[in-house]
Amino acid sequence: MTILRRTVRATAMTGALLAALAATPATAADFGFPVLVPVTGFLSLEGTSQRNGAVLALRKAPAGIGVRSTVIDTGTSPETAVTALDRAAGGGDPVLAVAASMLGTQMLAMLPLAKEYGVPLVTVSGTASITEQGNPWVFRFFPGDAVTKAAHARYVVEELGKRRPAVIHQTTAYGQSGQAHLKAEFERLGVRPVFEEGVDASAKDLLPVITKALAAEPDVLVLHLHSAPTALFIRQAAAHGVTLPVVAGSAMHQPSTAALLDPAELKGVCAETAASPVSGGSPAVEAFTAEYRAAFGTEPDAFALGQYDGMRMVLDAVAGGARTPDAVRAALSAGRHEGLAMTYRSDGKGNMAHSAVIVCYDGRSRVPAIAKRYDDVTGVLK
Amino acid sequence: MTLLQLLVNGVALGAAYALVALGFVLVLNATAAVNFAQGDLVMAGGLLAAALAPHLPVPGILLLPAVMAVMAGLGLAVCAAAYLPLRHRPPVSVFISTIAVGIILQNGATLLSGPEPKSAPPLFGGGTLEIGGLVVAEQSAAIVVVAALLIGAQQWVFARTQFGRRLRATAQDPEMARACGIPVTAMVLATFAIGTACAGAAGLLLANQFFVTPTSGGDLILKAYIAVTLGGWGSVPGAVAGALVIALFEVVVSAVLSYPVALAALYATLLAVLVVRPQGLFGEAARRRA
Repeated sequence: MTILRRTVRATAMTGALLAALAATPATAADFGFPVLVPVTGFLSLEGTSQRNGAVLALRKAPAGIGVRSTVIDTGTSPETAVTALDRAAGGGDPVLAVAASMLGTQMLAMLPLAKEYGVPLVTVSGTASITEQGNPWVFRFFPGDAVTKAAHARYVVEELGKRRPAVIHQTTAYGQSGQAHLKAEFERLGVRPVFEEGVDASAKDLLPVITKALAAEPDVLVLHLHSAPTALFIRQAAAHGVTLPVVAGSAMHQPSTAALLDPAELKGVCAETAASPVSGGSPAVEAFTAEYRAAFGTEPDAFALGQYDGMRMVLDAVAGGARTPDAVRAALSAGRHEGLAMTYRSDGKGNMAHSAVIVCYDGRSRVPAIAKRYDDVTGVLK
Repeated sequence: MTLLQLLVNGVALGAAYALVALGFVLVLNATAAVNFAQGDLVMAGGLLAAALAPHLPVPGILLLPAVMAVMAGLGLAVCAAAYLPLRHRPPVSVFISTIAVGIILQNGATLLSGPEPKSAPPLFGGGTLEIGGLVVAEQSAAIVVVAALLIGAQQWVFARTQFGRRLRATAQDPEMARACGIPVTAMVLATFAIGTACAGAAGLLLANQFFVTPTSGGDLILKAYIAVTLGGWGSVPGAVAGALVIALFEVVVSAVLSYPVALAALYATLLAVLVVRPQGLFGEAARRRA
């Protein structure tokens, strides 16, 4: 079975990579970089991307540096994440940095322990508050809602020239945060959405919300939904002959979301995201995508690339002489990193990513093209 | 016209939910145990259909028997591993063992098929039919027909066949059934097999239109539980009615109110029903039986 073959291959490859990393002969400079991410539970799709990105980056250790790494599944509870961090960093082995969960509640729980142990947490969590705790040990390599939703709203208003958006968002913390930033950004642009409604992530039929949104006579549909609900919305809208442009949230850029839809259903659909590795754009990004496919048998997304860039910046710091967690923290805080997705630099709070892109589908393929890039976005801070 | 359109969608969704609830109530009746793995068994059926589809490029309707057969086998395994060894223990033991089965299924599915959402093939075609201005997805129409046939067939087996009578006798009073020579353990195994086959059918039906992920089961078991509570604990017609009520709230009521308010209204209705009729809408027969 294809799925089984792919799973076995991906598992074997991950195992082989980690075994190779763990089996690196101990040297005078042998450091730990644990990967603590949710590979089971409701965030397993994104968490698996995060794991893959970190594992791929850690394959390329700087010369003379031994990299030890283990992947620990943090599941969905904060307690599990704290225990994982305690296991990984509290044992006395030299740990220079941790690839840490993208689940905001887990990050918030891990932050005090990271401060106590003095170990940098490198994450792609989008939860705004993780960098608002005054904790100098957290570094986010993924643009928060203040950046992505600014790009989202600006594309709708400035590029598409739409003034009557209907905003449909999830009722989860992710959805509410995105909706709040979209609302603020639209307000800044002088646009008032004609329709706004939250949808439960478990909703099976989105025709009711589509019907109500259309009744408000919008000129564009703006989505901020998770992966499956995004695909469901677009499929149902297409089935009912809706021809309005759709500008979706970052879940749409994930290749696994596009895989659920026929290319024709994607015509006129755009999405915001931090990056779209499958869209190419540079030889380095294409090489990353090819390497990722070969290693894991699946397509990379922005979470994988963000975590990859983050861990590469950590390893660059080590290559530059950082031999303690504090030296790594200092390098991440003050440095600048030309990553594959964007150029990263800290804003003083650990927010490293300040760019976003808009990708659009042409109706003939499931691979989107980058339509617009927004750099150095500050957005409306909540 | 819009209302009619929403009603059609609601009935189709309710038909799929009914199959989920039906499998749940069958096991409940046969064993007096709540099978908390039922939602994850539905998820497993959906992922199985999605995994088989590339290797058996046939319409979903032809895939359905294969999925139900494999799932029936899984049901036997679940019964043998999670129910039979604990059947003489307090009911809470079975609750916990089925919760464990659900967690194993969820994590096993993540490991085997990956965390990405998947789609199963449509029963006949993936297009839409336009009937008098109504846009009806072919899959929605097929779901209603197939679910009605499966529920009807099951009712016929239970009401009109010797096998069905044995199953019902086992469900009503296992000790008396055993005294009458009915192989109670075999009947319990058969009930798990049928209930899990229903879960597999529901999984295939739901996974085409609404996709399936390894974590889909948690929400479905909640809906099955509500459907059975609303319809009457242990009542098969009640489970079907309860499932339809849930779907109508999700699709029709949410078109008038918002989705979160419609969910709140559903729970308020559930509470009202339990206050007025604690035995549920169709609970009388079950009460007499007890």
